[in-house]
Amino acid sequence: MFQIDLKNRKPIYEQVVENFKKMIISGGLNQDSRVPSIRDLAKTLGVNPNTVQKAYRELETNGYFYTVLGQGSFISAPPESLTQQEIAELYKALAEQIHELLFRGVTITEVQKFISEKFEVVNNDSDK
Amino acid sequence: MIQISNLRKSFDRHEVIKGLNLSVNKGSIYGLVGVNGSGKTTVIKHLAGVYRADSGTIHLDGAEVYDNAKAKARIGYVPDDLYFFPSYNLKMLGQFYKRIYATWNDKRFAELMKLTELNPKNRVSRFSKGMQKQAALILALSICPDILLLDEPIDGLDPIVRKRIFTWMIEDVADRQMTVLISSHNLKEMDGICDTVGIIKNGSMLIEQDLDELKADMQTKAISEHLPPTLDEIFVYVYESGVKND
Repeated sequence: MFQIDLKNRKPIYEQVVENFKKMIISGGLNQDSRVPSIRDLAKTLGVNPNTVQKAYRELETNGYFYTVLGQGSFISAPPESLTQQEIAELYKALAEQIHELLFRGVTITEVQKFISEKFEVVNNDSDK
Repeated sequence: MIQISNLRKSFDRHEVIKGLNLSVNKGSIYGLVGVNGSGKTTVIKHLAGVYRADSGTIHLDGAEVYDNAKAKARIGYVPDDLYFFPSYNLKMLGQFYKRIYATWNDKRFAELMKLTELNPKNRVSRFSKGMQKQAALILALSICPDILLLDEPIDGLDPIVRKRIFTWMIEDVADRQMTVLISSHNLKEMDGICDTVGIIKNGSMLIEQDLDELKADMQTKAISEHLPPTLDEIFVYVYESGVKND
């Protein structure tokens, strides 16, 4: 499924959350598919079940998972639309990344080129 | 739930544990960390009912542990200094444990033995130190205890065995909500496995907290810039600055 990097300073539960988000966004996990039980994932990754539980709770709170009592957790439908706050947060994160790129000497033109290229890729994908 | 309140213990008028408090939630994997001589083993021996407190209480779900067979029946304990009857092999030890612990599980014991390279017909006292530790661990896990106390379990084990033991432990925590208390100074290993840590120094608790929360709190202090600190860094910081939580 995915690996946990114990050398990474990022808390393990955050790594679990991020990996799931990535898989959901990239389409690796489909809506209504079942996610591994806490026990199985903890065993596979070799991490504390309480940590996995914490990650699942967060994914559920943020609308990525839903839980059916006695049956486990499943992937939710994509959220209808982002809240204003979520949009603001994502833009803020984007701005920080761009600032770092500029600071490290990448030109604004290069960044713009990158974005338009990426955007074309996304457009082509949705045409199919 | 394990609860130690205001524990005091002296040996030969030398006070080793000085009003220590500790609490472990059910189903938690708790890391008890501290330098050599800080009192980790003494605390664990109180939890196992080996030592009697001079004052203070050691409660397991509200019941005092010392001299309480009912409470002790729920505890699996792997001490740092192992002892085995000289002529016993692993199989015989299993039979001995079975007579003592009502929750003993033969099937589990057979499975765990098969997963190790230990020969059940050889004398355990002639095993190497690492093999003895493995033997003690599979005996403790075969009791299917509610509480597992591990004093320096990682010392002297190879990485493959270590991983194997963590996997078994994780299974029991996930399946039965077993509570685990591990003492160690191998902080890297503890960082990856514990959800809560207790840092003790000179016989009292400096900090006891959810590990992720502790890291978030410590990030604001200038231990390491920007990134969440490791347990290693937190440990050094706490020991040197002497910060405490209440």
